[in-house]
Amino acid sequence: MKFTLPPEAYDAEPPPVLRTWRNVYIFVLGWLALLIAVFYAFTRYFA
Amino acid sequence: MTTLDWFVMVAAIIAIPSFGLWRGRGGKTTSHYLLAGKTMPWYAMGLSIMATQASAITFIATTGQAYVDGMRFVQFYFGLPIAMVILCTTAVPIFHKAGVYTAYEYLERRFDAKTRALSGIIFLIERGAAVGIALYAPAIVMSVILGWNDRVTALIIGIICVLYTTMGGIPAVTWTDVLQMIIIFAGLILALITVISLMPHGVSFTDAVYLAGAVGKLNAIDTKFDPDNRYNLWSGLLGGTFLMLGYFGGDQSQVQRYLTGKSVEQSKLSMLFNAVAKVPMQFFILFVGAMVFVFYLFAQPPMLFEKTAMKAIQTQPGYSAVQNEFDAAWQKREKAAEALNAARKRDEPGNLQAATEAYRAAQRGIEGARKSGVALYEKTQGHAGFNDTNYIFLSFVTRYFPAGVIGLVIAVILNAAMSSSSGELNSLAAVSVMDLYRRFWQPDGSDRHYLMVSRMSTAVWGAWAVVFAQYAKNRGSLVEAINQVGSFFYPLLLGVFILAFFFKNVRGSAAFWGMLAGEAAIVACALFTPIAYLWYNVIGAFVVVVAGLLFSLVGNEPPAVIHPAKAA
Repeated sequence: MKFTLPPEAYDAEPPPVLRTWRNVYIFVLGWLALLIAVFYAFTRYFA
Repeated sequence: MTTLDWFVMVAAIIAIPSFGLWRGRGGKTTSHYLLAGKTMPWYAMGLSIMATQASAITFIATTGQAYVDGMRFVQFYFGLPIAMVILCTTAVPIFHKAGVYTAYEYLERRFDAKTRALSGIIFLIERGAAVGIALYAPAIVMSVILGWNDRVTALIIGIICVLYTTMGGIPAVTWTDVLQMIIIFAGLILALITVISLMPHGVSFTDAVYLAGAVGKLNAIDTKFDPDNRYNLWSGLLGGTFLMLGYFGGDQSQVQRYLTGKSVEQSKLSMLFNAVAKVPMQFFILFVGAMVFVFYLFAQPPMLFEKTAMKAIQTQPGYSAVQNEFDAAWQKREKAAEALNAARKRDEPGNLQAATEAYRAAQRGIEGARKSGVALYEKTQGHAGFNDTNYIFLSFVTRYFPAGVIGLVIAVILNAAMSSSSGELNSLAAVSVMDLYRRFWQPDGSDRHYLMVSRMSTAVWGAWAVVFAQYAKNRGSLVEAINQVGSFFYPLLLGVFILAFFFKNVRGSAAFWGMLAGEAAIVACALFTPIAYLWYNVIGAFVVVVAGLLFSLVGNEPPAVIHPAKAA
């Protein structure tokens, strides 16, 4: 079964910051990773 | 409540929806009523998405959950940023460019009418149940604080909510949400400042955090993989991602928010705003609950936080012994907490270890004493399952917060209830009218006719929500109840949208039967396995996709033709 991304999914307009949507997505996922790391340190420190 | 509290509360409840109605005024078309004429900026959509998700339950139950169970519930939201990024590359541009009113309308263009109808009905069942529970949450507030009847309270909140939703449609809902979220943020910050300022002399903010952490209340991350454990890092990242994909990608109450955007770009920004802000916000709310726990180390809490339950056991034989046990356990824990705080400040490792062990033992002692109280209440009622988690925060607020702040916190909770309920009511009306009424009963009506039916549908769903709210009592922690209901249905929506977006050879019947196979798998998991409910999202969506692919191999349906004019 073929797995394909529909043509509508490709970005047409650039974001207002960070130049490309790819950079924005990387920032969001990096932010999540940072939060998890901080929460992990928080949990370990206060336990 | 003082006169000032009443003034703050009533002013907020009346002024905020009035602002929403004024700001969203103008349009007289179905498109304006259900999609705001696609004119919304990203920040309004972003705050509205957040407000719809952050119901009163978020504030009442989440803080209570942190008090009882610690902060591990925050892991539930770890899948949200991942889901938002995935949806920004798939659902947001696809739905936007398809020009649909609802997510399920797209399914007919992609598959067939029965798949659209099944998806719409699944949404109506799930969201119809959730909107009732969301309305009941503020009724708890009033029953605890003012002694009002739960049913009357749910009715009043429901009427206000239905009025502005019916009159103004989604523009009024969205602009009301914007103001409500600003009030909610302000209220949360004020609540934390107040809790910390109420700590006794000699207990600093750092001390409070240390005391909460010593008995596991700051357990934000649990890295141990255990499928039977509801909240750990892995269930949050995997199960949470699937749940959020289903929620934001397949639930019309959320899809409708980003369909109101001026452009795809604006809609994506609104989603990514949530991706960045939601996890810290939930952490903050849970942290407030953990601080309430620390406060009650030094001020005796009631054995049961639900006043009516306390009254019920006070006349029972054996009450005095149970209450004495609880009082003694609390005094022991207070002394243990003070000893630990002193040992920590003296920085003596040997004493610190012993004091920590004594404090933890005292915590286990008070938990045991509370269980005795719960058991006594359950014995009087003749059934198990008592849970007063939802009363903890409100009981604390009304007893200890200063005048004015109580009114603001109550306003926050009532506004949160109305903002989530109004968005849900509008989306329920959109699906009822666009996916069922217009598609199957009355396809040739005028725009004015559909606008009128949309308004009527909003009012009918509002009435349903109020009736359903009467049966939400004693459902345990309400936030969990909603998420559990969602985990029975969202995987089906997620699975069918995965098939729609990524597997273009799959036909309508295969998708339809795949959804039914997915539901069978979820019901089997719930009935015959101990698997935690978050995993239903992964299992259910997986079964829908695999079954859909298998059915498409054996079927001989012609390929679907995706055409904007095919659906109504």
